[in-house]
Amino acid sequence: MSGVLLIEDNPDDVELTLRAFRKNNIANDIVIARDGQEALDALFGDGAFGPASGELPSLLLLDLNLPRVSGLEVLRRIRGDQRTRLLPVVILTSSDEEQDLIEGYSLGANSYVRKPVDFAEFAEGIRVLGLYWLVLNRAPPPVKA
Amino acid sequence: MQTETVTGTATDELNRELELRVAERTQELAVAVRELEAFAYSVSHDLRTPLRALDGFSQALLEDYGDQLDETGLDYLRRIRAGSQRMSVLIDDMLRLSRVSRSEMQLEPLDLAGIARDVIAELTAGDAGRGVTFVVTETAPATGDARLLRIALFNLLENACKFTRRTDSPRVEFGMKEKNGQMMYFVADNGAGFDMAHAERLFGAFQRLHRADEFEGTGIGLATVQRIVRRHGGGILAESTPGDGARFHFTLSGGNLT
Repeated sequence: MSGVLLIEDNPDDVELTLRAFRKNNIANDIVIARDGQEALDALFGDGAFGPASGELPSLLLLDLNLPRVSGLEVLRRIRGDQRTRLLPVVILTSSDEEQDLIEGYSLGANSYVRKPVDFAEFAEGIRVLGLYWLVLNRAPPPVKA
Repeated sequence: MQTETVTGTATDELNRELELRVAERTQELAVAVRELEAFAYSVSHDLRTPLRALDGFSQALLEDYGDQLDETGLDYLRRIRAGSQRMSVLIDDMLRLSRVSRSEMQLEPLDLAGIARDVIAELTAGDAGRGVTFVVTETAPATGDARLLRIALFNLLENACKFTRRTDSPRVEFGMKEKNGQMMYFVADNGAGFDMAHAERLFGAFQRLHRADEFEGTGIGLATVQRIVRRHGGGILAESTPGDGARFHFTLSGGNLT
């Protein structure tokens, strides 16, 4: 279990996040879901981390502002499902609004990171994130069927 | 008795009409505040995203294709980055200013001199207050929103530090004294000062009286202070002589100051 699920609708932010991972030699497989529905398909449908796949991501990076199904709704569904409720979720968003912080944590996010505008800062943030969540942090064990 | 009844009815009618109007205006105000909140959220999220692309991909160009560009090309890319970073600072400052208007005031008894000393401790710990002599004189207890007043004092004191950066013995003072016949709080510095001829621009958002290469800043600090003191029911005025420092006087009640 070492994949990363990046849930992000903005193609520029996807590219920049992948670039930041590359620059920091973080080699984990990154699966991208480009809106809330794709994220749910990836985790609960026939996607890369669906029940049939036998796989779960080590880390979910979740943008809040997603079309079709919102980031907070995706989080609610993740925390509501027996198979996925323990997965580490880091909210990675442009929003600095207190309401989003409160709701994110209330719904069970493990961490809340604001995407900086400056790319050097952003890359450094991804480096630190990757080091912490993928190397230092111990992922929860897979749920026994 | 006929006249009394007529007068009674007319007064009731007037009261009803006024109450209706108050209810309408209150509703309009509530809508406006909600729109302001939505706008602030939009600014925080929607404007920053394309900015990140501007910054990120110009950086990517510099890193990956820099060796194929001449010095002018590299300079252009650096300017794009600098522009997007500056815009990010402006957006954050605008957001902070809008939050000051949106937040609910929580009034409590407080000691402004105490808050000033707190802010000074923070400024001294960082870069801003380095080498500056601060003088705080005691102030009478007041009532206000501690969080907002801390922001106001922070902006005033940080400004004072900034504009004394080129002064030999920088000195910043906070206290209370009589001016124009009433007691006012003041922040005074012995720094660069400004030309009073342009003083009416001083409190306008994003309006600056100095060039970016003289003193950095976005021009939001004083607009924020003015908004905060006005929300308390007071006002602010400034006076200065170029080269001889600036003095900002403010009140937390008694209406606007000219």
